[in-house]
Order: sequence, then C-alpha cells, then structure tokens
Amino acid sequence: MRNDLLWVEKYRPKKIEDIIGNEEAKATFIEWLKSKRRSKKAVLLYGPPGVGKTALVNATAKEFGFIVIEMNASDTRSEKAINEIAKPATSFIALDTFSTASKGNLLFLDEVDGIAGNEDRGGVSAIIKIVEESRVPVIMAANDPDIDKLRPLKKVCVLIRFQQIRIPLIIALLQKICLLEHVKAEFEALEKIAQNSKGDVRSAINDLQSISEENRVLTLQDTMMLSSRNKDISMDETLRGFFSSKSIVEASSLLSRSSVDYDDFLLSVSDNLPRRYTNPGELAAAYDFVSQADVFRGRIGTEHWHLLKYFFNALSEAASVAPESYKSFQFISPPIRIITLFWTKGKRTMLDGICGKIGAQCHVSHETAKHDFVPFVKSILQNQKSSPIASWFKFTPEEVDFLMKMNKY
Amino acid sequence: MAVNEEALMWVEKYRPKNLNEVVDLHDIVESLKAFMRNPKTMPHLMFAGIPGTGKTTLALCIAHELFGPNWKSFTLELNASDERGIDTVRERVKDFSRYSRSGFGNVPFALIILDECDQMTGPAQTALRRIMETSSRTSRFILICNQSSKIIEPIQSRCAIFRFSRLDKQAMKDQLQCIAKKEKVNLLPEAAERIVDYSEGDLRHAINALQTAAAYKDGLIDEKIVLLVIGEASPMQVQKMIRKALFGDFIEARKTMYEIMGSYGFSGSEIIRQVQREIFKMSDLTPEQKADLSNVIGEYDYRLTQGANSDIQLSALLAQFAKFGKAIGETY
Repeated sequence: MRNDLLWVEKYRPKKIEDIIGNEEAKATFIEWLKSKRRSKKAVLLYGPPGVGKTALVNATAKEFGFIVIEMNASDTRSEKAINEIAKPATSFIALDTFSTASKGNLLFLDEVDGIAGNEDRGGVSAIIKIVEESRVPVIMAANDPDIDKLRPLKKVCVLIRFQQIRIPLIIALLQKICLLEHVKAEFEALEKIAQNSKGDVRSAINDLQSISEENRVLTLQDTMMLSSRNKDISMDETLRGFFSSKSIVEASSLLSRSSVDYDDFLLSVSDNLPRRYTNPGELAAAYDFVSQADVFRGRIGTEHWHLLKYFFNALSEAASVAPESYKSFQFISPPIRIITLFWTKGKRTMLDGICGKIGAQCHVSHETAKHDFVPFVKSILQNQKSSPIASWFKFTPEEVDFLMKMNKY
Repeated sequence: MAVNEEALMWVEKYRPKNLNEVVDLHDIVESLKAFMRNPKTMPHLMFAGIPGTGKTTLALCIAHELFGPNWKSFTLELNASDERGIDTVRERVKDFSRYSRSGFGNVPFALIILDECDQMTGPAQTALRRIMETSSRTSRFILICNQSSKIIEPIQSRCAIFRFSRLDKQAMKDQLQCIAKKEKVNLLPEAAERIVDYSEGDLRHAINALQTAAAYKDGLIDEKIVLLVIGEASPMQVQKMIRKALFGDFIEARKTMYEIMGSYGFSGSEIIRQVQREIFKMSDLTPEQKADLSNVIGEYDYRLTQGANSDIQLSALLAQFAKFGKAIGETY
C-alpha cells in the first residue's frame, strides 16, 4: 500500500466548490441555511449514496462557521439517546460565540432512514419534537425518503433532492486524483470505473484506489476485475444466478456481490430447493448445506460478521450439489415466512397466556399445556359454543375468541 | 372417587385426591402409604416415567395426605421448564421456606414439588442439589421427571426413586368407562379401545381425548368421533408429516409441517421433540431404522439450537427423511 489513507477520506470535499454536481440542490440548501427567517426549521437531503449529501453539510458548515453535532445510523437513536445528545445541542445557541467566529450549532442527523423500528423506538417522533423546539438548524439526510416511517418527518422539512452524479463529472474528478497520486490512467479505464459506479462518487474513488494499489499504470484491462457495482441485483436475478452457477466459487462470488437481504435470500433458497432438486438424495444433500448455512447465520447474529464467508460457502455448496441436473425453473419469491405470518408476536403472547392459565389449573408446564391441552380445549370450545370450561380456566373473552378461531384443518 | 365440583377439565375433576383412590400403581402406592404412616421418615422422592402415568397426581396426593385441605399453604409447586433458570427456582424455594410454616401437625416439613426436572441443565441441577441440602431441615422435595438418567447422580442418590411404567390398557379402559358413566355419556367399547390405543399409556391424553369427543355429540361416543378427535390432535398430524416424508413426498410433508406450526403455534424444537416421540411409536419401522432416524433427528435438533430459522432446519430434516424413505423403499 502506498498510502495509509483512504482516498475517499483524503479527497473528501473541504469547500463547497469541491463538491461536484447537484448544483441546484446545493444552491437551495445554502440559501436555506443562510436565510435568517427560515420557512421550515429542518431540511431533509435525500438521494442515492455517494453523491455528496454529507460532504455538503460538512463543507457548508465549515465555510459558514457552524459547529456540526452529528448523529448517524451507527448511533442508537431511541428517543432517549436523541434527547440526550440532540436536546442540549439544539437548545443553546452558541455559548462560545465570543471565542470563535462560530454561528452556533447545527444538528445533523445522517441516514435517518436507518432508524430501526425496535431499538430506535420513538425515534421519529423524538426527532419531530426536536425540530419543533429547536433553536438551531436541523439537517437530515436519507437515501430513501419514501419509507413509511419517515412520512411524518417530511411534513416538517424542506425536501432537497440529490441525483446521481453525471459520468463526465466523475471522470474529471478521477483524473484529478490520478494526477495527485501519480497514477497514469487510460481515459477508457476511468470511464469504465465511472460507469460502473452508477453515479456514486464514493464508490468510484474506492474502486480507483483498489485497482491502483497494484498498478501505477491503469489500462482498461485492469478495470475488468472490478465487480459490477450493480446496486439492484434483484432477488429473482440472484436466485437465477445462484442456482445456475457451475461452481461453488461462482455462486459464492455472486452472493458477495448481490445486495439482497441475507435472511430473505436464505429463506428463498430453502423455499426453492425442492423445485431445483427433484431427486431425494440431491435434495437432502442440498438441504444439509442450507441447514449448515442457517447455523452460520445463527452464529453471526448481529455482530460476528466475519463469519459471513462461511455462510456464503455453505450456501454455495447447496447450489452445486448436482450441476449436471440443472434446468431453469420458476422461482418462488419473496420468501414465504409462514411462521411469522401466522404467529405474530401478539398471537404468541396470547397463546402463552392461555398455556399459563391451563398450567395453573392442571398442574402442567406451558409446553405440555401447548401440545396436550390446547388442541383439545380448542376443539371443546369450538364444538360447545358456551362451554363452562372457559370460565373455569379464567380465559378472557379475547382468549376464548382466539381459541375458537385457531386454525382448523 | 371424590368429585371436585369446581374442576371442569375431566383430568382435574377425576384426579385422585388421596392414595386410596389411585387405581393401578399398587407397589408404588403401598410404599408411599408406609411413609404417610410416619411422615418423619419420608425422604426426598423422585418420580420418573413417561407422561400421563400419574407422577404429578401421586405428588399431589401426598400433599393432600400430609397437610389435608390446607395443603396449598405447605406445598410449593414449581415447573422447571417454566421457571427462568435456577436462580428463580432458588429464590422461590428460599422465599417459600422462609415464609411458610415449616411443618404441620406431626409433619416437620413443607413440601416442594418440582416438575420436569430433566429439563434442567447440569449446572442448574448442581445448584438444585445445593438447595436441597440447605433446605432439607425444613422441606422435602418431590422431583418429577421423564427420564431419571437425565438427573445427575448426586441428586439421584439423595432421593428414593420410583419408576412409573406405561399404564395397563385394561385399567385405562376401565377408568375411561368409569368417567363416561359419571358424565352420563355412552362410550362404546370399540371407541374406548381406539382412545387407549392412541394414547400409548398416557392417561391424561386419553381423558382429554374422551372429553373432547364428548363435546362433539351429546350422549354417545363412537369410533368415528374418536377418529375425528385424534386426527385433529397434533401427534396424528406429526405422524402424517413423517409418513409423507418417508414416502418421498417432501413437498407435501413440508406443507403439513407448516400446517402444524400454523395451527398449533409449536416452535421448531417442540415439533422436533414430537417427531422423536412419534418415530418410536411407529410400528412399521424396524428398531434399526428407528435408531438411524433418531440419529438424524439428533443432529438437526442440535442445529436448531444453533441456527437462525427453525423452518429451514425442519425442512432439512424432512429432506433427510425423504432420502431415508427412498433408501429403504423396498421394505417400507
């Protein structure tokens, strides 16, 4: 490695003029930030990744002398966390105005579409509250502004849309970097990188750096090793490529390129396996690999992502149990997820409560109640509309209703 | 048989309240009666045996015999599979021995009934052993489990162990008829035969099936109704799933699996435990085949605890069954 610094860090725009493209969005944003009486106190910048949303906020703040208080998706944004960090930042206007030329704070919430449903409970409403009470500008950035949970946010914000950066602009930027890094690059090579990036400047710079590590002279040939950064390999496409791959390596490299959700994909593979393998021996062998992949998925959990390669590997083996027997077939997708479909958390809690009541009356554990009593109790209730056992078990009307409606064959 | 007017599930209504009411199990009952004559001599007890053979019933009988109608004040009932960890068990035992009077009349101790002990992990059992020791002055334990081999040696050695075997078919039939008579339903002999066959020595199951059948039609229970009832209950569905898989029809087997999960809300590990139980009931498999299948089940049972999606592991298990069924195709 010639340089320890990532080029995306090294060449991060420092001034507004360094940011390429999206001139209109830039102008709107700067005007909003400069105006003394803002129509809305918050602004939502949205658009695909790598087009300069975060860069614009940082560069602008620097030029206009704001201190950026940033929270992004990696921080938890539960109501509590938001209030702890964001509240103080928004309620005091520039305590240190004397010492610096600072105009005060500016709250920047990056990747707001990453606010998760569970951990960040109350997050969106907390943000809205902050916006309403804030005495400093609030800036938010998101990739996909259409997410339902962000809808309430859109009402209190000025929306500014960012678009993909045009190819010639990216090429020009890459040329500039090559010059500074003493890399001699063919125009066609840079063009290829730029096209590959689909308008994502960050990924273009990353790609340029990754292939320049080994070559000081870049030819079109060198760019061939770049995997296509196809942002939208759909589930069907991935499944097709996966099942038709000729080798474990091919399947595994496809998996690492695809952006489909791993859990969805795993379930989809499981759903489609019987269509792919009709021979019981092959099916059993393939399922065994899928089962191993699932075990790795379980071990990965939410933190051990270094195990992902084993997950890919096991899954890929499932695709190559019998390459010679491959015939194209119609996929089932998205995954069926029957369990979560039938047994929502509410229903499960309900059943658990019922089992607890049965256990208390009949001296059995929840589990025994579930398989030795519930099916019978259910049948009795379904056949004797006003059976007194319901009140003996102290079931609530909701619980009786639940048992009456429990699936019949 | 004393009838508790309040209880409406027949298994509770006709549960014997004292040792004299218990049918079958003569040897065990006689030994327990000896303890009852001089309660001071009663050691910790362990009841081991398959479900529905009267373990909990006898434990409750002992409580009744020792403490009379107020038995609940002197008895702590715990279920190891419901309590979260040994710490809750320890706390509850500690609280119980602190706040309940330790003893009643000539009985110098309180009773702690701990059900499904074999669900406890090794470390938890070691902790339990310690609890038994520290509270032995004030309490007696009755430990209930399906397999005594799953209980660690030190605990076994502290208990008098009683083994409960499968109930006698005739005794079960008599019991069902006796209940039917009291409930004023006409239970046809062949219907009783069916229920007993299907219940595999599990009286609780048999009585539950009887009550459910009685709910279908007033006054008369025939074979047709019984078949309807047991067809709907989960063991039959699990068998259906296993058979479909063994016949090589994986897709149908998996559909049945989803039906079972959807209808009863069983978790993956609950289904796999039932599969294990049903395999050993299936008379058309040789002992060797059962052992082979059991090995396969064991592997996927373990993976289930490690993996992320239980339906994937169950599907993989069914795929193995389908392969197995094909391999033994000629004989099956």
